[in-house]
Amino acid sequence: MKVLIRQTALEMKLFLRRRDDLFWTLAFPAFFIVLFGLIYGDTQWGPIRAIDYLLPGIIVMAVMISGIMNAATTFAEEREKGVYRRLSVTPLRKHIILGAQIISRYVIILIQTLLLLLIGILAFNISIVGNYAVFWLILTFGGLCFLAIGFSLTGLMRTAKSATPIAMIVFFFLMFLGRILFPVDVLPRALEYISNVLPATYLNDALRLIVIEGRSIGDVWLELAAIGGWMVVCLILAIRFFRWE
Amino acid sequence: MSVTVMVNDLVKRYGSLVAVNDVSFSIEKGEIFGLLGPNGAGKTTTVEMIEGLRKPDSGKIEVCGIDALKQHSKIKEVIGVQLQSTTLWDKVKVKEIVDLFGSYYQKSLPTDEILEQVAISDKQDSYVSTLSGGQKQRVALALALVNDPEVVFLDEPTTGLDPQARRNVWAIIEGLRERQKTIFLTTHYMEEAEQLCQRVGIIDHGKIIALDSPGNLISTANLESAVEVTCRSEDAEAIFTNIKGVNKVSKEGNRYILHTKESSSILRELTHLTDENKLQLEGMSVRQGTLEDVFLQLTGRKLRD
Repeated sequence: MKVLIRQTALEMKLFLRRRDDLFWTLAFPAFFIVLFGLIYGDTQWGPIRAIDYLLPGIIVMAVMISGIMNAATTFAEEREKGVYRRLSVTPLRKHIILGAQIISRYVIILIQTLLLLLIGILAFNISIVGNYAVFWLILTFGGLCFLAIGFSLTGLMRTAKSATPIAMIVFFFLMFLGRILFPVDVLPRALEYISNVLPATYLNDALRLIVIEGRSIGDVWLELAAIGGWMVVCLILAIRFFRWE
Repeated sequence: MSVTVMVNDLVKRYGSLVAVNDVSFSIEKGEIFGLLGPNGAGKTTTVEMIEGLRKPDSGKIEVCGIDALKQHSKIKEVIGVQLQSTTLWDKVKVKEIVDLFGSYYQKSLPTDEILEQVAISDKQDSYVSTLSGGQKQRVALALALVNDPEVVFLDEPTTGLDPQARRNVWAIIEGLRERQKTIFLTTHYMEEAEQLCQRVGIIDHGKIIALDSPGNLISTANLESAVEVTCRSEDAEAIFTNIKGVNKVSKEGNRYILHTKESSSILRELTHLTDENKLQLEGMSVRQGTLEDVFLQLTGRKLRD
């Protein structure tokens, strides 16, 4: 347990010292919400404002950047440099490495989301209708789920060079089919079936139900269970296909 | 004396290439044992099989009485490892990384003590990425020593370092020898093996072709020494050629090199000739055989070819 805490603390420190990581995870999503806020202003999409509809989507996008793009590719780069090869001849176990990575990145996701909410509320008058505790619970499930997806992909990333394309493919696939920036009715029927089971879709739907419609936890249990399922499966894959080098 | 590392009939194949071919040796407690050979001879493959980074095709490895192949996780606590190239996180500070590695082990030495031992205390708050090659290597040594290991594995500890940095690393290893640490090091520098190791295994094409103390290896090889003299006498070459025990004389201006297996009797004879005023010698030096020459004699090739 002590080792896990120390390893997590180190990962946090390393993250804060890497300027480009900071930019991609914090400044980039913030830039997006400012951009959309300026573009749409008070434009209405049906009964709701466009920016109200988009905020949960941008949060999901930010979570995916942290989990899939940033965490997984950084890990693959460090692995190729031989950092984990050196660790593999110490008694440190792979569960601790993965655990520390996931916990430290989860904290980053919390900070990132807080930043997006603050910008949305202060600059664009967005209000969260539902309960903040439920919002946090959904975010936690989603964050851990996408981190698990990211680390399960590192098993496929044989080299640091292949890491970014693999992460990009998965990211854009989820981005376009996950109903993040546009609603479901624009998708063809076949893609809609796929879209319906994606973790990005569940996370989006759950966040929108809480943020926009102000529903209670009883209305998002299905989404939470689905995200939890994806998380458990990907976590098992991440541990099973963990590579030291 | 108890045996700390025992390796028996170790074999590793990569396709049709036999990288390590029936290698056996043992290392006693408190001994510095070196594996000397050219690049690609199988040194790193051998040491990494003992460390558990590669799986041998056959053979047996025991470290501190523990079967290293069956109980790999158990030996991690008692070994210290410096890989051929150690890469760490760029943005980690020296003190932080030594602290962190210490926390991986059930018992570890205080960080200050380790930093002192490898003479890097003055850089403890620097990022690893800003260190010179020699300093990085000292950090790698610190990480290998942090758990006060029973046996330390050093894979080419000075490759790529400048002479000054190399001497610094040697001084650290000599410090470990004084403290009775068991050390297994690989190198392709014969000076390094001669200077540091009590016993040396010479490895070539995956096979150990000689194994003894550096002194014994050199003396049993019955090598020629070279006696070098500078002399202005006209008939010097004829006189040198006629000295008993001189096998060959090579000449370069006024400098002559006398190749011999009996350097001491040659030196006596040269002094004798000078005393009798038959020769005017201006300078004299003797170069004894080295492990490099032993390798040349065993394989017909130079170590660094």
